[in-house]
Amino acid sequence: MTLADLKPGQCGIITKINVSGALKRRLMDMGVVSGTTVRVEKVAPLGDPMEVHIKSYQLSLRRGEADKIDVEAA
Amino acid sequence: MEMKSNTSGKSRQDHEKKDLIIAVAGNPNAGKSTLINAIAGSRLHVGNWPGVTVEKRSASFEFKGRQITLVDLPGTYSLSPYTQEEVIARDYLVTQKPDVIINVVDATNLERNLYFTMQLLELNIPLVMALNMHDEALQKGLIIDTEKISAMLGCTVVPTVATRRDGLDRLLEQAVSFATDPENHTAGHVSYGEDIEKAVATILSELPAYSSVPHTRWLALKLLEADVQVMQASGISVNAPFLGKATRHLRAAHGEDLEALMADTRYALAAGLTREALQKPQKRKRELTERIDAVVLNRYLGIPVFLVAMWLIFKLTFDIAGPFTDWLDGVVAGPLTRWTSTLMALVAAPDWTISLVTEGIIGGVGAVLVFLPPIFAMMFFITLLEASGYMARAAFVMDRVMHAIGLHGKSFIPLLLGFGCNVPAVYATRTLENPRDKALTALLIPLMSCGARLPVYVVFTGVFFAAYAGTVLWSLYILGIALAVAVGWLFKKTLFRGESPAFIMELPPYRMPTMKNLMIHTWEKGKHYLIKAGTWILAISVFVWFGLNMPWGVESKKDSYLGIASQTIAPVFAPLGFGTWEAAASLLTGIVAKEIVVSTMGQVYIPETEEEENQEAPTVGEEIKEIGVSFIGAFGNAAKNVFSTVGVATMSAEEDEETAGLRSVIAKAFTPLSAYAFMAFVLLYLPCFIVLVAMRHEFGSWKWAGVTIAYQTALAWTVAFVIYQGGRIIGLG
Ligand SMILES: Nc1nc2c(ncn2[C@@H]2O[C@H](COP(=O)(O)OP(=O)(O)OP(=O)(O)O)[C@@H](O)[C@H]2O)c(=O)[nH]1
Ligand SMILES: [Mg+2]
Repeated sequence: MTLADLKPGQCGIITKINVSGALKRRLMDMGVVSGTTVRVEKVAPLGDPMEVHIKSYQLSLRRGEADKIDVEAA
Repeated sequence: MEMKSNTSGKSRQDHEKKDLIIAVAGNPNAGKSTLINAIAGSRLHVGNWPGVTVEKRSASFEFKGRQITLVDLPGTYSLSPYTQEEVIARDYLVTQKPDVIINVVDATNLERNLYFTMQLLELNIPLVMALNMHDEALQKGLIIDTEKISAMLGCTVVPTVATRRDGLDRLLEQAVSFATDPENHTAGHVSYGEDIEKAVATILSELPAYSSVPHTRWLALKLLEADVQVMQASGISVNAPFLGKATRHLRAAHGEDLEALMADTRYALAAGLTREALQKPQKRKRELTERIDAVVLNRYLGIPVFLVAMWLIFKLTFDIAGPFTDWLDGVVAGPLTRWTSTLMALVAAPDWTISLVTEGIIGGVGAVLVFLPPIFAMMFFITLLEASGYMARAAFVMDRVMHAIGLHGKSFIPLLLGFGCNVPAVYATRTLENPRDKALTALLIPLMSCGARLPVYVVFTGVFFAAYAGTVLWSLYILGIALAVAVGWLFKKTLFRGESPAFIMELPPYRMPTMKNLMIHTWEKGKHYLIKAGTWILAISVFVWFGLNMPWGVESKKDSYLGIASQTIAPVFAPLGFGTWEAAASLLTGIVAKEIVVSTMGQVYIPETEEEENQEAPTVGEEIKEIGVSFIGAFGNAAKNVFSTVGVATMSAEEDEETAGLRSVIAKAFTPLSAYAFMAFVLLYLPCFIVLVAMRHEFGSWKWAGVTIAYQTALAWTVAFVIYQGGRIIGLG
């Protein structure tokens, strides 16, 4: 299951980030690291990007990226 | 973390009152610029979205006999930079070695901010933490044990509220004390665990050449992470045998991705520290931001809210500013001109100087200055968008649309700023991570109709489209946006092929801006327009005046130097419906700044034979009274516009005699169709040269400025051609 599969209101725990290079580091720097709980808050009116709550702040990212972040049900 | 080497401490104590450099670093939107403004009385740009500060800025002040310089750095999430402005922050910290760092931490977001603090500590520079946004933390019911953070990290932690100046005195005291007397402050040691520390020690032992660098620990850690830029700068290869040796055990125990290991380790420490020091309330309240977003970012309401917000900004800008523009216009063209020429005649100034001042300077600069009201109004609303936190939401809502034309949601912010002025907008592209996005966004910015183009529209719509001026004005803004979409799509398919990069952005909470701050930052944005009027536009106005009056004593303006030069290029514009030398002269001089189109018109379109003003000249007293009365009237009209109209109010609809001069001449020189083609041309033709210089500055070469000049000239000509010829075919002109 990936972050993109979660519906607004659902939570997940990050297990793996399937990207590499600068993008991966950026995600990690912003708190997207394994073991962290994320909650999907909203999906933008046009369907993309989405807003998630992580480490007590709101982060927005596209489905394309969210799809590469594996989560397990919390 | 090792103790500070004491040599530097000793030498500092020798000359007691040394000047100090304090770097202010932290995550984006943590309040760094606000804090500096509050301490140093500066007016650095502040806004409630991540990425406001894109350049290193500093503010100096006197403190207890010392000169202190606070360096405002762009916000950054880590010392492994991702965006260009983050590179600036890191390079400064690593190479410039400030005396002390003030780490501004957003107290409502402790863990992610502490992750960055961990990295700052690696630099081995004295550090004081400002636990900012403390008011918001309290409001959320967060209780933070500053002693614990302090004890674990070995730095003083001072709770602050930068917006209210709370805690700043103590913060400054502590920072100065840390900088001048580091020995009295034991640095904490944050251990990254046995495995990593061992690897670091091995690397350090192999790095004798670098042992003079103050932050060898940082260097060792970056080598371990294989940071590309550090590797390049230090000339050490990723395959250096000693690195392989140092990390062998780490790789075996923790896997190949050491960068991920480091991030995990730092976050684990930050999380641990947060758990220790932070007490959250039992029950989480539903916060204001969530409630607002439930509407503003709602599936169905999000887009309508966005469109209404944009529409309101334009409506209010013109509704409120319109009457004041009329008022200023009346004052400048009437009493001011009359008084000046009377005064100059009194002191027996030669006729030509009177003409230079009244026609050249007042006519030229004045024509531009009357547009201060809408320009400041526009700047005010942009500041409001920035300060409230809606800016980032707009980027969120619009990302999908932007993505379709090869852009990025964040591109939306520079583009929106472009409606105020294109120049800061070009600099704002710095927050985009990737050079491709940056370039594409910068190329499209000139299509956003900036404040300087407004004077041209207002004059023409006033003359030709008075009855539906608002709609016509709107259509020009929309034309620019529509063309940006088309051009963006075209560029995406040609010059900028390839994947557009990720969109990862923090959404800040909504914040209530204070009136004082709104005023300061509106002024900071708008003052450039005033400065421009006093410098470039003044110079060009004088230049145009001489161009129109030379060779000396020329009979008709058409035979002047400027007239002759303009006549040679005028045929180029003939197919567009405005092939006159007057229009050509205006467009030619307008390359410097688009307001100049109007200011030049103010000079070229003055009727050749001075119409004698035979009517009784009003007395100075009467005129002053009239100015006052009409100013008060303008308030009434502004209020009436805001509340009574649904559409955008017309500006300068009423025909007052004072300004009839330029307008009546224009009415004869253009048809409505050619006027519209002319406005479209002014909207699109090459951006003012300050924008071109900004592009050169931002991209380090003239390449993109060149592309802009080429495509915009072609676009402007084509669009004006289609409008004019198309209009004639369907019988409009
Ligand atoms: N409530 C509250 N708001 C604050 C405080 N400090 C700053 N702000 C607000 O936070 C927002 C961000 O402030 P800035 O000073 O622009 O932040 P910055 O750290 O310079 O941000 P970047 O330049 O983007 O890295 C602004 O809206 C400020 O008014 C504070 O202590 N309390
Ligand atoms: Mg800032």
